Order: sequence, then C-alpha cells, then structure tokens
Amino acid sequence: MVARARTVALVGLEPALVTVEAHYGAGLPGLHVLGASGTAAREAADRVRTALQAAGVSLPLRKGILSLAPAELPKQGARFDLAMALALAEEAGAVPGGALDGTAAIGELALDGRVRGVGGVLPSMRALPRAGIGRVLVADEAAAEAELLGGTRVVPVRHLGEALALLRGEQPPRAVPRPPSEPARRTIPDLADVRGQLEARRGLELAAAGGHHLLLVGPPGCGKSMLAQRLPGLLPPLDRAAALDVAAIRSILGVVDPDGPLLDDRPPFRAPHHTTTAAALLGGGSGVALPGELSRAHRGVLFLDELFEWPRPLLEALREPLEDGVVRLARSRAAVRYPARALLVCAANPCPCGGGDRCGCAEEQVLRYRARLSGPLADRLDLAPTVEPLTAGDLLEEAPGEPTAVVAARVRAARALAEERWGSGARNSEAPASEVRRTADRRALRVLADALERGELTGRGFDRALRVARTVADLEGASTVGIDHAREALAHRLPLRSAASTPLGAGT
Amino acid sequence: VSSPSAADRALALLASGWATPQRTAEAARAFLDAGALLDDPASARRVLEALVVRAGREAALPDAAALVRVRVRFAALGVRLHVLGEAGYPSLLAQAWPEGGAPLWLAVRAPGGSLPEGPAAAVVGTREPSLDGLRTATELGRVLARHGITVVSGLARGIDQAAHRGALEADGRTVAVLGAGFDVDYPRGTRALREEVAESGGLATELAPAAPPRPRHFLERNRIISGLADVVVVVEGRERSGALATAARAGQQGREVWAVPGSLSAPTSEGPLALIRDGATLLTSFDELVPAVLAAAARRGAAPPPPGSGAATATDDPATAARTGHDHTSHDHGGGVPPPGLSAPAARLLALLGAVPATGGALAGAAGLPLPVVLSALAELTARDLAVATHRGYVRG
Repeated sequence: MVARARTVALVGLEPALVTVEAHYGAGLPGLHVLGASGTAAREAADRVRTALQAAGVSLPLRKGILSLAPAELPKQGARFDLAMALALAEEAGAVPGGALDGTAAIGELALDGRVRGVGGVLPSMRALPRAGIGRVLVADEAAAEAELLGGTRVVPVRHLGEALALLRGEQPPRAVPRPPSEPARRTIPDLADVRGQLEARRGLELAAAGGHHLLLVGPPGCGKSMLAQRLPGLLPPLDRAAALDVAAIRSILGVVDPDGPLLDDRPPFRAPHHTTTAAALLGGGSGVALPGELSRAHRGVLFLDELFEWPRPLLEALREPLEDGVVRLARSRAAVRYPARALLVCAANPCPCGGGDRCGCAEEQVLRYRARLSGPLADRLDLAPTVEPLTAGDLLEEAPGEPTAVVAARVRAARALAEERWGSGARNSEAPASEVRRTADRRALRVLADALERGELTGRGFDRALRVARTVADLEGASTVGIDHAREALAHRLPLRSAASTPLGAGT
Repeated sequence: VSSPSAADRALALLASGWATPQRTAEAARAFLDAGALLDDPASARRVLEALVVRAGREAALPDAAALVRVRVRFAALGVRLHVLGEAGYPSLLAQAWPEGGAPLWLAVRAPGGSLPEGPAAAVVGTREPSLDGLRTATELGRVLARHGITVVSGLARGIDQAAHRGALEADGRTVAVLGAGFDVDYPRGTRALREEVAESGGLATELAPAAPPRPRHFLERNRIISGLADVVVVVEGRERSGALATAARAGQQGREVWAVPGSLSAPTSEGPLALIRDGATLLTSFDELVPAVLAAAARRGAAPPPPGSGAATATDDPATAARTGHDHTSHDHGGGVPPPGLSAPAARLLALLGAVPATGGALAGAAGLPLPVVLSALAELTARDLAVATHRGYVRG
C-alpha cells in the first residue's frame, strides 16, 4: 500500500503542489526520504519519526520510504514535515485510508509533535484551488495568513496529535484564531509638517502621480529623509491584489508583522542603508534566491539615502529591475523572478562637504563627486528637486505646508486621467513612448527635441522627460502636453544633467 | 496781523508744488552769491521767505482753502511738517544744508512725530535685483537693525524693500523716504509694508499729500535718503542708476559710501563695481558696516548737534564726486531690457538671476510665481542660453 499526502513547495513566489508518498516494505527498519536532497531530507526524516512517536503513533519495524514528487523541484526548509508525518500515519494505519483526500498540510514539526508555522504560506495557497484541494492544515500562527486568499478551508492545528484526531473524526476542527483587537494601521507622516520646500514638494507630487523616480539633493539635515518618508502617503492605497503581492513577499521572508495588519493597504517604504549588500538589496541566497529590499518595496517606495555613498556596481544593478518592474535572480537550483515595481527615491548631498551656504568645495571636486551618479542611472531618474537648507525660509515668508490629503487628492485625479488613457493601474512612467508622443503638441515636442540637440537630453531622456511632461499635464487636467508642460519636465531633469556632466566653468 | 510762521510758509510752498529742489537751490545760491552765509540751518528761513515772495509774485501760492485741506489731510494721517532749522527736523539731514540739498521742510509720519536721531545707514540698490542681491539687502537690514542702527531706504521694490523687511524682521527701526505723496498708494501693493515702516522708524517726504510718483521725485528723494544716513551702502545696480545717483548725493553730503561687490559678468554689479573703482569702501562682510556706522554717528555726537556744527565743511567723498555727473531720470532696471520673444515669467526671472546660483524654489518665492511656472520659464531661459543650470541652482547665462 502507498499513502499519499499533499503539500506545497515554493520556488521564489511560485507555488507547486507536492505529493508525499509513504510506503513500508521489506528491508532493514529505517526511514528514507526521496525527492529532497542532502541534509534537509535526513533532518526531516528524524524530525518526522520522533514527532510521530510523540503523537503516539508506533511505526512498523520495516523499511519506510517517503517520496516527495515532483523530485526535480528544489525543496528547502521544513515546510513538508507535517505532510510527511500524515502520509506515514496513514500508511501505518493511524488514520483511516482516504482521510487525507482533498487535504494539504503545510508546517514544520517539533520533536515533541508541535506544529510550527513556516514562511511563504500565503503564496503557497495559490496552488491549492487549481489542484482541487479544498482543505489545508497549517500551524495556528499561519492560519490567518492562509485564509487571506480565500477559496480553501483553513484548519489550524497546534500538534500532530490534534491533526491525527481531526482526520480520524474524533474532534471537530477549531476556528482560525483571531488577534484580540484589530491591529493599528501603520501611520505615514504628513506633508503638512514640511515648511517651504516648493521644489521637493512638486517633485514628490509628480513622482506619486506618474511613478517617476526621484533624486532629492540638499545639504545634510535639510529634511530629505523626512520628505521621502511622506511619499507613500501620496500614493493611492494598494488594491487587494497589490496588497496580496506585498504580503506574499513579506510572507516568504517570514517577516509578517504580528502586530500589524495582515493585509496592509499602505504602500511599503523601505530604506536600506548604503552598506547593504547586493544580495540584500536585489535579492539572493544560495540554491533559490530570496527577495531583497527592492522587492520588499514593490508597489511602494525604495529610498536610497546618501546615494553617492552606494557602490556604483550596486546602483548599476538596480537599473534593469527598475525598468522591467521585476528582478530576475538565477542561482544554482532555480532562476526566480520577484516583482520590483518600486518608486525609487534617492537622496544626496550636493557636494563632498555636505554643501550649504558655506560650501568651500572646488568646482572640480564637486564634479568628481557627482560623477559617481553614473549616466545610465541618472537617465532613469526623472526628477531632481533641490531641497533647501532650513534657513532659506527666513528670507521670504512661506505659507504653511499643504497637507498630504490635499496633494494626494490631486495625485488621485491625475492618476485617474492616466488610467483612463493607458488602462487600469498603468502609470505615465510605464506608458509606451510612441503613445505618449501622440498626446503632445508639436511645440512641446520641439522643446524636447531642441534639448536633445543641445545635449541636455539623451535619447532615453527624451522619452522620460516626455512622460514627466505627460504627468505635469495630467495634474493640470490638460489632455494635450503643451509647451509649458514640456519645459517644466525639462527643468526637472536639468540638475541631473549637471550631476552627470557639467562642463567646468559653466557657472557664470 | 502777525506774520505767518515758518511752518505756514513751508506748508504753502509744499502745497503749491512750485518750490522744487531746483528752485530752492537757485534761491540759496542767490544768497550765497550775494555774500550771505548760509551755514546755519536757521538761515534757511531767509531762503524760505524769499521763495514765498517769489511764489507769490508768480501767483503760484494756493488759496487758504487749499491750505486748510492739506493741513487737515496731514492731521488725519498723523503727519507733522518739520521746517529746517527748527526742532523736529532731523539734525543729520540739516547738516546737508545748503550744498547737500537738505529740503527746507520734511513731512514726517513717525512714532512721536519725528524721525529717530540715532545712528543710521541707507541701504539702496536696483529695483530688479538678483536673488543674491535680495538676500544681501535683507541680511544687511537685519544686521544693522540688530545693532540699533536705523535702516533708511526708499521703499522701492527690490533692494529697498528687502532692506526695510530685514530691519522689520529684526524688530529694528527703519525709515522710508517716499517718492510720492502720503495719499498716493505707491509703490502699489506696499500699503502693509508702509504701515509697518511708519510704526517702526517712520515715513518722510517733502511732497504734497497728493503728489504723484514722478521720475524726478525719485531722484530728488535720493538726496533725502542719503541725507538721513551716516553711511550709504549700495547693494546692486547698473552703472546708470538711481542707486548710483544716491551714492553721488551721499558724496556731496560728506557721507561714507560702501558698495557690495559682485561678479564682473552680472549687469547688477556694474554700479557697485564702478563705485569701488572710484574709491567707495568695499564691503567684505555683513558685520563690517556696523562699526563704521557707529563711528560716523559718534563723530556727529549722540545728541542733535548745535546749529552750524559744520556738516557742510565735510569734504566730498572723492569716490562719488566723480560720478555726480550721472544724474539720470531713468529708473534703475538691474536686468536691463529683456531679449525679445521671452515669456513674461521668463523675463521676470531673468532679472532675478545673477552670478550666485538660485534654486527654482527660492526664485518662485522671490518672483511670487508658482513653481511650475518658474521651472517652465527656467527651461525656456536655459534653452536660449540666458540661464545655466548648475548643480547649486540657476545662474545668469
């Protein structure tokens, strides 16, 4: 006889149904695991056998074989323990035959038989309905997460013994445990706290409305981080699908916040430090790569402070994922893709000394410093507002800051126009260049073409500036991109050009 | 019938508009040519009488009803008319009699009815300064006011207003000499600022309440600005400009002239650089001016000096004397005539751009334009090489 249990493997975010087969046959007593490699398999066998004994199941003194199929699928971690134990239990006659039909199990076992939660339960659930599996056993702590997707009955189990009793029909399934109170929503700081900073505010608004990447330039302490932290508040709340994507990435990293909401509709904000490794930023790890900060910022904001302190190869490596919205990571056992549709916000000092009114940096020093922002990355940034030192507000009276709600309303209206044009969820920054050109008048295109001829724009920069101009027009409610929209978009890029290559002596 | 008082005569002449500074100077010169000494401000009364006689002869004096109207208007506005040589007339200005062109009367709206007598500095410059010029003027206003120095200027937009505002921000005293009558809203849109200045140091003019702004009024006003100050500092201005005319008058009046240096390629630096070339003192820091003003004020004494204390004996500043030939009726436009084909915002910003980099946000604040308009205009200027985007901000191309 062969007993079968079902569980789910994850390769990246992709779930795959795994069938666990258990068989006892002639041979020396022992437990052999097939279809999983190396130490992971050996460890699982020992854990499963010990846990079954703790749950009161006595295994036959024969040769036991566990097979995890498909064998070619990379299998990592202890998430298959529970399914393996249940298949062995059925084979040993501890649960009636057929009790495991239509049921999957995901969980790690402790030696005493307790069931532990594992990462990646949420994305795993996607595999079940399409395989016709209507019930899943998971650890208590993973039960609420497993329920998010819907379509599958989630049965929480604390102990292997409880799972066996359920399958024997000796006790009814428990309800999914709920947190005692609704968790507090993460609060995003408000723009009203920011005084002045006209340019930076405009930059944030355009970035939020069109999905354009942003570079904030200003001396230390002028509020660059403060501004960046307020950007998620301008972005529209995540819809269910997007929130599930974000939650899935957190889930496979095992970083579901026990105090936060399971499904958070606030766009994420990630601010890795410039000492972060490539693996931590883009994703990595041996065998099968895990997502990095870039993917954790998916649908939200990735903030790189001290941009010029970041190693240049790392910045270059960001280019392609930012363009494609996905990061592809090939490792020894699998090539995986993680979503990476993040809004990039960088911050930098204007010069090596930090800048400010008393900057004593020589022109050439500044140029060398700025050359660290490679042309290709500069080409993928669209807005470079200057953040003023705080004392600049002394000179001219400035109205108190506009609150986030007001700016977010304008952003919503502009995004609605863009979605009407390009389709649901689409942003100007991703719109096909030829289509955007069709919405611009001839004089607007002329302005950009002139800038191209003057060397202020590259070919790529031309289309990117045009997309920013499209967003400027959308914020104004204009259907056609006009000359002033194009000029403003150009002005937002001009500091980037000077960042990449200002000829010496241009400062007169 | 008692003879009319000096104040009555002054009021009649003021209301007539006939006794221009030129006619006053002519009358004074007639006395000097006749060998009369006019060193004593009290001698101004003789000139005043002579002017009244001449005005009467030319039937230029207003009738009694018109006089009453002016008197009532002044009373309503809280304005006092001070006559040269009498108490209440600013003693420092009185030292500019007769060659320095001190007016025979001064209508003053100030706390206590007269202008402050302490150390004073005039901050003057172009009406179309660069952003850096605006910052400099504001900071000068602040620093001077913080040291108890009255900041004198002409309320014109640009440098003048920035200097007044700086002094007000520092809770100091500032005095404005008007180029139009008290009843005229000029410069337009500055009513709030005029009120603040009136409550701080005071407003002053020699003009009738309804006198309209005229180019010649501005030039004539300049001699009062410099006359009310121990030291005159020029922030920005073209070579032919009102600010330079003020510096020239300051030289005639024996006032120290300072100039703020600027880039050789900025048109707004022409005036200060020319002054420096001709001997004006170069200002190298904001604080430097303070001891100079205090020393000049100490030389004339803290209290109003006794009549005839010899201001007229002070030698002309060679720096500015050389430039006295430049007396222009044109207004001071720091940026000059904008190139053709520019949009209005671009022309406005071009005037604000200088050699010191200015960010879009700062320019928007200074120009009073929305940021998108400013950025669009900056791109327009850059495309025509009229502006250059540096990594610190925009400069003139």
